[in-house]
Order: sequence, then C-alpha cells, then structure tokens
Amino acid sequence: MNKRQDLPLKNDVAARFVPKIVALMVYVGTLCFVFTLFMTHTAHIWETQFTTQLSIEIPTFSDNASSALQERVVQFLNRTPGVQRVITVPQKEMENLFYSLLGEDANLELLPLPAVIDVTLDGKENVDIQNLESHLKNISPYLQIVDHRVWQNHVTNLIHTGVFLALIITLLILSAALATTTFAIRTSLLIHRQIIEVLSLIGATHSYIATQFQINVFKQGLIASSIGSFIAFLTFLGIKILLEKSGFSFMMSSSFFFQSICVFILSPFFTALSMMLAARLAVMKALRS
Amino acid sequence: MTVSDMIARLVGVGHKYETGPEIFKGITVDIEKGSFHFLTGPSGSGKSSLLRMLYLGLKPTWGNIQLFGEDTLKVTSSLLPLLRQKIGVVFQEFKLLDHLRVIDNVSLPLRVRGIESKRGQKHVQELLDWIGLGDCLKAYPPSLSGGQKQRVSIARAIITRPQLLLADEPTGNVDDDMAMKLLYLFEELNKMGTAVIIATHNQRILEKFPYSQLTIKEGSLLKLPMRKVAYE
Repeated sequence: MNKRQDLPLKNDVAARFVPKIVALMVYVGTLCFVFTLFMTHTAHIWETQFTTQLSIEIPTFSDNASSALQERVVQFLNRTPGVQRVITVPQKEMENLFYSLLGEDANLELLPLPAVIDVTLDGKENVDIQNLESHLKNISPYLQIVDHRVWQNHVTNLIHTGVFLALIITLLILSAALATTTFAIRTSLLIHRQIIEVLSLIGATHSYIATQFQINVFKQGLIASSIGSFIAFLTFLGIKILLEKSGFSFMMSSSFFFQSICVFILSPFFTALSMMLAARLAVMKALRS
Repeated sequence: MTVSDMIARLVGVGHKYETGPEIFKGITVDIEKGSFHFLTGPSGSGKSSLLRMLYLGLKPTWGNIQLFGEDTLKVTSSLLPLLRQKIGVVFQEFKLLDHLRVIDNVSLPLRVRGIESKRGQKHVQELLDWIGLGDCLKAYPPSLSGGQKQRVSIARAIITRPQLLLADEPTGNVDDDMAMKLLYLFEELNKMGTAVIIATHNQRILEKFPYSQLTIKEGSLLKLPMRKVAYE
C-alpha cells in the first residue's frame, strides 16, 4: 500500500464527524457484545451447574419418620431404571441456603426444613415422571416432586432470547457504522470529484482510487474504534469492580473476563476492516456508475 | 497502412453537445504511430473536444474511434485506465492537484502505474530541472505562475513516455523562448516513438515546425501534409 495520499481526505468535513460517531458506536456495540458473552456464559453455568433434573422434598415429621421415609425413597430411586445418581442434600447445606435467603439472624429451629433428595437421570432411558410420582406417592402422599427441567428450559430460553436480541442490536450498531462510512464516502467522492477525474484521466484504475479511500477509512476507523473500545473497557472494569464490591464477583468468571478482553482488543480491528471494506465497495460502485 | 501502425483511427466521428450545434460532421482521420500533428482551427471550432475524444473523456455522438486497436465504444471500465495509461495529456486548464507538491504532481502518473521508484524520482527531478522548475520541486501549484503550472502539466504528461501525447495549447502561458524549448522537448519525445498532437494558435510555432496540420473548419477536418522546410 502506498503511504502517500493523492486525495486530501484528511481535511474532509466527513473526516471530522465519522470518527466521533464510530467511536460512540463501537463503545455501545462492544459493551453490547460483551453483554451477549456474559449471557452466554451465564446460560452455560446454568446448564453445567444444575446437573440434577429432579428434586424430591420430604416434609419434616416427628421422631425418626422423616429419616425412615428418606431411606425408603432413596432405595426406591436407586432401583428405578434411568436414574443415574441419587444424593440427599445435607442438612447443613439446606440451612446455609435458607440463611442466604432469610439472613443470618433467621431462627431455623422454628422452620420445619424439608429433606431434599437430588436425582440425576442418565438420559438414556425415558423416565416417565408421572409414573415415578405416582410410585412415590404410594410410598408417602406427602412427597413432592420438583421437575427442574421445566424451569431450567424456561431460563435457558430466556437467556438465549437475550443473547439473540443483544446480537441483533450489535449487528444493527455495526450496520449503522458502515452506513455512516458509506454516506461519508459518497460525500467525499462528491467533494473530490475533480481530483478523481484527473486521476482517472491519467490512467488511475478504480481499484487505485478506492485504495486511497480505504486506507484513509481504515486509519480513521482504527483510531476511532480503539478509543471507543478503550472507553468500553474502562466501563466494563467499572462494572466488574462494582459487582465485586456488591458480592457478585462469581458472575464474572475468569474465562468470561479473558474473552471480554479479547473482544475489546479485536473489535477495533474488526470495525476498521469492515469500514475499509464498506468504503471500497462504495467507491467501486460509485465509480462504475 | 495496417491497423497495427495506427495509434488512433476516427471513422465518421461526429459530436453534438446537448445544447448547441453539432461540432463535427463525420471526421475521418488516422493517427499513425510516431507521427507529429498540430491541431489548428478557430476558437470554439472543437479542438479541445477532439482531444477529449482521443483521451476518452468524451464519447462521440456518432461514428467510431479506434484507439490502440481497441474500439472505444466497447471499452470496458477495466480496460479504460489501461488505454489512458498509454496517453499523456497536457490540459489547457492544467488540472494540477493543488494539495500535492510539484514533484508529486509530476510523479503521479508513475504512482498510478505502480512504477514509482528512486530512479523514477531522479528522472522527475531531471525533467523538472530541464524545464526550469528545479527550484520548485517542493512548491505547491497555487504558488506557481501560469507558465510554471503549464510546464508542470507538460512534465506530468510526458514523464511516462506515453505512446500518444495530446497537448491542448501547451505554450499558451509561456514566453516564446520557453515555447520553443517545449516544442523541442515534444520533438525529442516524438523521435523516441511518441505520436504527438498539439492544439495551438501559435503561428510562430506553426511556421517554425513543419509538421502536418489537422485543421478543423466548420465541423470538418482538413489534413495538411508536412511541409519541407529546412531547419535554421
């Protein structure tokens, strides 16, 4: 690529406003894309951490009735085809869960905490949940089956919808940036039509003229989107610090953080390259017509 | 004369602008390789328009132009620049790029052809020295006089040693001595094989240089052969 510009594109009116618009769009677009990543990670966490598909709640009875019932249920489940794993949630874990919901001052002795048995299905055999429930009801009518798969599916669908919408918004922002570039290029072509005519008359190919524009747009795009991406990164760091201070640091896993950093680094190059391509297409189309 | 000996062949070429009368009434002429022609005619007769047609800046309303063996009516957008790269044009209004230095303006055709090099830059400097602009290499066109701009325009047109040189009043803004010097430059170029067509009003040049004259008169083109004049 030639370093010298034959067209005075740096002094264009368009050159003044396009970088500002692009910086703003990259700021919003990058944060939007990182949000998409965050949602995807969250969905992944949901899907991997909640491996159990069923829970069975055994209400508290006096004496040792609960323990005996719990024992019978575990035995029954272990014999049931299609059940891979049966785990009784420790009482301490249940207490911690309630403390986290009700606060440390809650008096759990006043609350009859149910025993909970987590059931993991192997997925190979199709377990009829209604049949399983009726068998369990035969053991005790007070047993409650909670099928996690229903609400897990709801949450996953919700997250996927969020991801889809965020991606659409990111694409719209990118499209707006490219449309702005195309508009600015057309304005530039009008401003410099006499110089372009001279270049054409001395034998410049359309590709040569388009290259002049695309180099300029790439430089502008790279600088503007780097600024936008850097400010987005600072915003991201601010949100991370806020989440850490609020006790939600678990929401930002190290892999998500690493991927986000990659997005902040790569988005200026991706934006600049996209703008360069848009500029080339706009010039080639205008020169052919 | 075969087609391969031709730089340009105009057959029944006519042109009419949207408003105004027709300026050519079916011009037919051959421009041979290595030929030298003066294009003459009264103001407004169509000299500049004919040159524009030859550098593919204006399409004929009717008739056909063959340039370097290509039918210009069928020239594609990818072939057009390649044809233009074989032509050097000295524009009447110079058409210099004001934001580029003189040296960059002159080396522009080399850049466009992708053949700009240190040797080429040296050649540009030598040429500018020869036409008396050695001190203006880094000057910008707006700071130059009309004559200087004209010389820069000529240097830009000939730097690539084109196969066809079209010059529209190339001596209109220079004194007689410089005009002669430039004509000798065009002659040298012609001796190296470039076909030259110069549109001019300058009678002194026409008398001094005995080349063939293409005269536009009332829409027709008359070809006067080369005179036999002994050099002084």
